[in-house]
Amino acid sequence: MFFRFLLLQIKNAVRSPMWQKNLALNLVIGFFLLLFALYLLMMGLLIGQIMDQLFPHRDHLVLINSVLLYYFLADFIIRFLLQSLPVMNIESFLHLPVSKGTIIRYMLGRTILDVFNFLPLFILIPVTFTIVLPNLGGTYALLWIVSLVILILSNNFLVIYLKRLLGFKPVIIGVLGVILIGLFFLDRVDIISLSGGSFKAFNFILHHPVAILLPLSWLLICYMLQFRFLALHLYPDEIQKKKIEEVLDHTENKFLKSMGLTGSIISLEFKLYFRNKRTKTILYLSPFFLLYGLIYYPEAGSYNKDVLLMFIGVFMTGGVMLNYANYAFGYESSYFDSLLTKNIDFSQYIRAKYYIAVLICTISFIITIPYVFYGFKILFINTAMYLYNIGILSLVLLYFSTFNKRRIDLSRGGAFNYQGMGASNWLAILPAFLLPFLIYLPFRISGHLYTGITFIGFLGVLGLFFSGFFIKKIYISFHHRKYIMAQSFREK
Amino acid sequence: MIEIKDLTKVYGKQVVLNTPELNIRKGESFGLVGNNGAGKTTMFRCVLDLIRPNTGSVYSKKNNVATTEYWKKYTGSYLDDNFLIDFLTPEEYFRFVADVYQLSKGDLEAFYNEFEEFFNNEVLGKRKLIRNMSSGNRQKIGIAAALMPKPEILILDEPFNSLDPSTQIRLKTILKTWQHEKEITTLISSHDLNHITDVCNRIVVLHEGLIVQDLVTNPDTLRALEEYFAVKN
Repeated sequence: MFFRFLLLQIKNAVRSPMWQKNLALNLVIGFFLLLFALYLLMMGLLIGQIMDQLFPHRDHLVLINSVLLYYFLADFIIRFLLQSLPVMNIESFLHLPVSKGTIIRYMLGRTILDVFNFLPLFILIPVTFTIVLPNLGGTYALLWIVSLVILILSNNFLVIYLKRLLGFKPVIIGVLGVILIGLFFLDRVDIISLSGGSFKAFNFILHHPVAILLPLSWLLICYMLQFRFLALHLYPDEIQKKKIEEVLDHTENKFLKSMGLTGSIISLEFKLYFRNKRTKTILYLSPFFLLYGLIYYPEAGSYNKDVLLMFIGVFMTGGVMLNYANYAFGYESSYFDSLLTKNIDFSQYIRAKYYIAVLICTISFIITIPYVFYGFKILFINTAMYLYNIGILSLVLLYFSTFNKRRIDLSRGGAFNYQGMGASNWLAILPAFLLPFLIYLPFRISGHLYTGITFIGFLGVLGLFFSGFFIKKIYISFHHRKYIMAQSFREK
Repeated sequence: MIEIKDLTKVYGKQVVLNTPELNIRKGESFGLVGNNGAGKTTMFRCVLDLIRPNTGSVYSKKNNVATTEYWKKYTGSYLDDNFLIDFLTPEEYFRFVADVYQLSKGDLEAFYNEFEEFFNNEVLGKRKLIRNMSSGNRQKIGIAAALMPKPEILILDEPFNSLDPSTQIRLKTILKTWQHEKEITTLISSHDLNHITDVCNRIVVLHEGLIVQDLVTNPDTLRALEEYFAVKN
């Protein structure tokens, strides 16, 4: 039965129109996944040398055992944010003479095939061979890796259980947050030591083989928790629980109201962003765009890495906008027909979208101002890149968004979700990262760094000044392509 | 009011619509029937400029719908779920439509009053997003929104689908009243021959994209249509 279910799901995936349309994209994603796996493999093989570099004269195995707990906590958090619940249309099986246990065992077993369970093996298996095996010999190495695999699977079942539970008791996300932050805080102020605990725990298993029963029973608990949960809730409306969102009474924003049609379009787009899963995920992820600077700026030596700084500037002040403008029309695919038949002036409509793009950039820019702490040069570059983003990039992206050609399902999460991403979306990203550098190149070669950066900012101001002209161009493209867009948006 | 000339739409090798000529007069209640794939929705989409026909044009008050946009001011339409913005509450959606047609708060109040019975306490004040509502209630919202700007032309694709019997009757009453009092031109498609003969004074039968019958409704029309479809299958 398990394999019959699996076969059905594979058919479901392969025959879905999305799969066929996105075949090339799936291949690209597969390729990158493979690349990432190879990267992990390399890490695993070279980890001994890396540790020698970073922490000379320390025992490899002790180090690794000390970080394992951190690793599993991080794995837990990442899974919680990114691992998707396996979807199975149980309705089509519940009415057939298939026992509920079979269905649940399949639903649970299926989750083992998740990429999150396989990727860690690429690093852990080489570590087993290069570090654990020479130190402790075959039996113990086997013991070590088996206990880790058990813990990976426990994390898998635990996360999915908690995510299912989340539909019933949203409060657990707060509880989890408090526990995790508390743990890290206590570790930080040295009240408890996660690394010490981690070392002791894994060392204990290595010295007392019977102790492997501990992780094993933990795995069993996680599995049974979910099994019991599913057995109690095996009804379509409870498993695939559609949360009925309660909406507060609508208060109209006076300022937006005074802007007429433009205002109602802007308020519509805000609602679109805050009420759909895919766009919400992007909103949650956007702070990470803005924290990007923290990774690079502290290395004050990066002062002469002007191109890198520009790149970070474009990315931070424009990254969130990029996602908006790239799908400016695609996100509206589910009601595009409605817009077309209504009495809407589309040049005004496109202008409203442009205002939103400018607004997003401006907010991003304001948030990045404190980076001036790392030097005025950073503020200078970010200002120029911000002007470029609002004056040129946003308009270019809006132009390309009239080439959106895929219906986007907003009800699915946005991280690693490339559904609805077409060649035009990829193409549109190119100018984001190439154009400023192309403009900058002659200045850099001739040594006029500041003039070059100022010039990019100036071009942005120019674009802003002539935005009316560009919006007209976008409108013409929209007009030409509206049938193609409408047609393709209708195809589910 | 609406003139269709030499309209054809071809997908691949299949001709889905082929209408050399069709005129719909002002105040006419025009019904479109035909089995699945006959081209009803395609015709409505052409009239609403949602697909580009391979040949021919549609004229609304003598203006080509593909090159002008004025017709949107006096045309209300609801073809399918794609006409709703499903992450809004019904109130927010109606508000948006009112804004687009530049209707005042008073107009909106009047609209709510007029449709109170039609909504039957299942639509307004529920604090629910449209996507969480049943298909019947979504259908009600779409139809009501199409009527909100008091259009001169109303285009509905299978409006009786998924409505409960009471609402079907209420919709028929609304259509008849508006046809009678406001001289609204209605274009309606349906699979329900009873309903369509009840609310339309002209019925056109489509088969594989072609108009095969064009009838003025009289007491015999229902029987004639039933005979036609019985033979066809």
